[in-house]
Amino acid sequence: MMKILQGIDIVDISKLKRIIQKNKTFISDIFTEKEREYCESRKDPYIHFAGRFAAKESFMKALGTGFSGIGIDHLFQEIEVLPAPSGKPELHIKGWAEKLAKKRRIRQCTVSISHASDYAVASVILIGN
Amino acid sequence: MSQNFITEATVFEEVKKAIAETLNIDKDSITAESSLIKDLGAESLDFLDINYRLEQAFGIKMARHFILEHIEEMFGEGSAIDANSRITDKAVSLLQFRMGENFPELRAGMDMDEVPALVTVQSLTRGVLDILDSLPEKCSACGNSEWQSENSLRIKCGSCQEYAAFTNGDDLIKAWLTKVQEEKKIF
Ligand SMILES: [Zn+2]
Repeated sequence: MMKILQGIDIVDISKLKRIIQKNKTFISDIFTEKEREYCESRKDPYIHFAGRFAAKESFMKALGTGFSGIGIDHLFQEIEVLPAPSGKPELHIKGWAEKLAKKRRIRQCTVSISHASDYAVASVILIGN
Repeated sequence: MSQNFITEATVFEEVKKAIAETLNIDKDSITAESSLIKDLGAESLDFLDINYRLEQAFGIKMARHFILEHIEEMFGEGSAIDANSRITDKAVSLLQFRMGENFPELRAGMDMDEVPALVTVQSLTRGVLDILDSLPEKCSACGNSEWQSENSLRIKCGSCQEYAAFTNGDDLIKAWLTKVQEEKKIF
């Protein structure tokens, strides 16, 4: 039987910016090298970091992974969100994130990101069987 | 052994301070049993902020991988999480054994994503204390054993002035799992 899982998340862009600026390793702990290159090439990188963070979080909600709370989850970095040649964002997973998706037999994944003023939102839909 | 230098009460106060500053709430409204999500309204970004504050305050490195991931890494695919994202009975017994009194609501068959709400001020304090407990006998830089506490949060070598190097959170979890498996043969 086909199953559809959905997750949505909203991120306060200034809050994320504050945390990134305060913690030297935040960006490399949470984002991949390619995500970082992409966001930093844009006029306002923080909008794009926030959208990506919301997408990672949406994926985790859709899959029901939770997070440890005691520690800094590498899971965030294992969910990579990059634009496809068409410009639409695409999600790539590896490591523990990929293992968890395999357990739930996820076959397809779509992600959508948007932002306005101080907020970025993302939604992820996963299709499994 | 670092308890001689940094007391549990000091860590508890510092954890409360990190939470109060992150969430912009009154430190006195936080108790040991408060769930960061259910009682204090923290979201995942706040957890990251709090963990970074604690790393900086104590000069430690918190775990990057959740214990459930370590369990599967060590004991094989499916040993911690089943096909429906539920925590296996064996993994629940391990978690209960590790954080028992700090995770009273932990039960078999619960979903993985119910775990974050179980994290309390007390369990976070325990997480920091576990790392501080890994203080080595001797300074790794000069080999002397003259630890001193600096402003009650950081431990410094009295001989060469280097900060103490603690074991990171992931290595501690792995060592603990190995030890428990040898003793209890859960998997
Ligand atoms: Zn020394």
